[in-house]
Amino acid sequence: MSLLEIEGIKKHFGSVEVLRGVNLAIDGGEVVALVGDNGAGKSTLMKIVTGIYQPDGGAVRFEGKSLTGRKPDEIRRLGIEMIYQDLALAKQQDVAANIFLGREPTRRVLGLPITMIDTPRIEREAEAMIRKLGARLPSVKYQVGKLSGGQQQSVAIARALTFNPKLVIMDEPTAALAVREVEHVLELIRELKRQRIAVILISHRLTDVFAVSDRIVALRQGVVVSDEPVAQTSMNDVVAHIVGAA
Amino acid sequence: MTTESPAKAAEAVKPVKGAGFAIRLESLAVLAVLLVALSILSPYFLSVSNFLNILLATAVIGVLGFGATFVIAAGGIDLSLGAVLALSGVVGALSMNALNFPWPIGILLCLATGCLCGAVNGFLNTKAAIPAFIATLGMLGVARGLALVLTNGVPVYGLPDEVLFIGQGRPFGVPTPVFIFLIVAGIAHFVLGFTRFGRYALVIGDNEGAARAMGIRVERQRVLLYTLSGGMAGLAGLLFAARVNSGDPTAGLSYELTAITAAILGGSNLFGGRASVAGTLIGALVMGVLQNGLNLLNVSSFYQQMAIGTVLVGAVWLDQLNRARVHR
Amino acid sequence: MRMGRIEAALTAGALAAGLLAFGFAAAAQAADKPVYGVLLKTLSNPFWGAMEKGIKDGTDEIGVDYFLQAVESDQAAEPQLNTCNTMLEKKPAVMITAAINSTNLLPCLKQANDAGIPVIDLDANLDHDIAKKAGVKIAFTIGSDNTAAGAKGADYLASKLGKDAAGPVLVIEGLAGNITGQKRAKGFAEELAKAAPGLKIVASLPGDWDGQKAANITNDTLTRNPDLVAIFCANDTMALGAVESVFAAGKGGKIVVIGVDGNTDAVKSIKAGRLTASVAQLPYLVGKQAVEKAKDVLDGKVVDEFTYVQTLVLTKDVLDAGTDPALQFVK
Repeated sequence: MSLLEIEGIKKHFGSVEVLRGVNLAIDGGEVVALVGDNGAGKSTLMKIVTGIYQPDGGAVRFEGKSLTGRKPDEIRRLGIEMIYQDLALAKQQDVAANIFLGREPTRRVLGLPITMIDTPRIEREAEAMIRKLGARLPSVKYQVGKLSGGQQQSVAIARALTFNPKLVIMDEPTAALAVREVEHVLELIRELKRQRIAVILISHRLTDVFAVSDRIVALRQGVVVSDEPVAQTSMNDVVAHIVGAA
Repeated sequence: MTTESPAKAAEAVKPVKGAGFAIRLESLAVLAVLLVALSILSPYFLSVSNFLNILLATAVIGVLGFGATFVIAAGGIDLSLGAVLALSGVVGALSMNALNFPWPIGILLCLATGCLCGAVNGFLNTKAAIPAFIATLGMLGVARGLALVLTNGVPVYGLPDEVLFIGQGRPFGVPTPVFIFLIVAGIAHFVLGFTRFGRYALVIGDNEGAARAMGIRVERQRVLLYTLSGGMAGLAGLLFAARVNSGDPTAGLSYELTAITAAILGGSNLFGGRASVAGTLIGALVMGVLQNGLNLLNVSSFYQQMAIGTVLVGAVWLDQLNRARVHR
Repeated sequence: MRMGRIEAALTAGALAAGLLAFGFAAAAQAADKPVYGVLLKTLSNPFWGAMEKGIKDGTDEIGVDYFLQAVESDQAAEPQLNTCNTMLEKKPAVMITAAINSTNLLPCLKQANDAGIPVIDLDANLDHDIAKKAGVKIAFTIGSDNTAAGAKGADYLASKLGKDAAGPVLVIEGLAGNITGQKRAKGFAEELAKAAPGLKIVASLPGDWDGQKAANITNDTLTRNPDLVAIFCANDTMALGAVESVFAAGKGGKIVVIGVDGNTDAVKSIKAGRLTASVAQLPYLVGKQAVEKAKDVLDGKVVDEFTYVQTLVLTKDVLDAGTDPALQFVK
């Protein structure tokens, strides 16, 4: 049994069929690159996995449990995290609040059945996570909107890794980064693999894809057109699959 | 993760407080200056009874402002506050007066009317995907109209003594509405600043997509927020009715704008993500003090409106200047 | 933040300077004379402007000071209560109030009574029974008899068209539920039935004191009743709106339009031959007499519980002749 099993997923928006029966399986500790042209359906597929969209047909299972009908918060609890291309950060909140967004630990107020967010704990644990990642942030109490782009990405990554995920989906994590920052992200992916955490990497940058992936899956017009181990394919083949010339 | 130089990272001014605590410092400064200036200008200003007057005069608008604050935190707007205030007061008054319901039921009906109107706003906004501005504008018309229909346009005079105590009583020499106002302020500030409910409201207003992605149930939260805001309008309606001993269908005309002004003066971001109940309290007090002071100085009500408009624009402008500097 | 504070301080300074200017203006009042507190509904209406003039002349004559407040609109019930509370801080010798409705000011007036300040009901907005139940003692009520004003309008209409005249009549009431408007409309209808039974009221609609709204109602009614002979409006603002509609429909001079109040705009319109008549309420006299009687109360003299100031039907003839002694009070 694979960690994540995607079977015959279909999704349309109005009359536009975005996904037309996608099949894909991912094992624990595997790094799978998902490539494809704009509009091929990569992001839609991932948003179905994370529960933001519901599929029109097909099934998604994670560790054998069906994800259909589950809300995003339940799916996160099962161990699937996604780092969004736009980072999905609340810019007016601080770093610690963003790292714990949606799963704030709470504590009781004066023993009453009233709970409040346990801010000291959040700040402590966020601090530890940031240190573990080696990210340079002024403070976990710093407002995210005032951080640089790279720093903001660190926050998004820290958030994805804080709750011991089993699968991390990264949507274009290197697109907006400088060369040296890209290397950090690729090293992070390798580190996740060493910890047996599976990664789905959506990227247009094929050099990055070839640098870290075990397998490359190409999506075109809503179906998987190729699914090959990285050793058995070449950059030219992948490009050909993406544009439909193969 | 980043390659920023330590020096650049450490340039990091000072950590700012969380978005739930945002208080416009400029408003506090304005409030302080107003208090000092008016104490010098008017011999009648600086007295316990006058300060109680100010708090009493601010209570209804303040409670309404707290409702507005929650909705604004989530990037919404509630234009129906004043009309819902009137409808709630009318329903409460009619139930106790014409229908002779016991007063606790009347109070409940008054609050429930507000919550119900708010919930309808919330469902229109989420399920029917009608923009908040339009949904609540529609509610403004319907609630005001219904209040006029139910009363035939005539205020419903006469409330039970227990209810009058809520509006006109003075336990320990302090008007009851002032107690209610300050207690509600404390609770609301806690909820917005310290609980998940409040945090999620702010996050939805900040970045709705992020809220969804992080598993926050945005629709449900929105409905709850509008219900809360309607409930606050219901409470304000109760205070209003109890103060004037009648359910007045024309009560609270354009109060929603004053309530929103209080929230903005207090540092809330009209586009969501940053809001604070304590800030709104200060914003409401700035207006209350200004009005009271100008009354004591015998300045015409026409100038009072100009003064409040000027203070609002001035405070927000200063805030923008500040932000521009931080981002430079 | 550092710059922000400096700017905040600057703004605050500017604000304080502004307040100081207001303050000096306020301080110009002498402090040793007794001060009468006057609370009106709103100043954005010539009726209350004339009332204020009467109050000013009245206080000048008897040698007292007054301070006058009003709120932003004649529906701002709670702000008026707040203003009333604030006024008590200045410990006026007497509170002369024109309440927005019969209940909104009662808590404040009770406090005034408790502090030994007599309460005067200006323009007859309070209900003496309700006030008594709330523990408020009204020293006296002064105003115009609104029912009588409506009746005077009907009498004028009957005299103008003849008591055997027949035809449809439109009545435009005030704000839905407002007691003043109701009394005027009722007084008109009851008297018209007696004075000229042939004139039938075909519609009686609320114009909300709004000229624009009255104009629309007139248009709509003219569509249905092109043979309309007269329009009675519960105030001049609405009458002025109605008369413009009548002229726009090409029926100027053929339909009798009557308003109530006798405000400056109405006088101009009557002189110009547009508005037919206005039942002038003489708010100037109401204000002046209110102050004079307030002094009587303070001096311990007995004052009638109700005083109704005379009204006067203004027409082009009356205005052009200029001989009616009451005309001097039409401001």
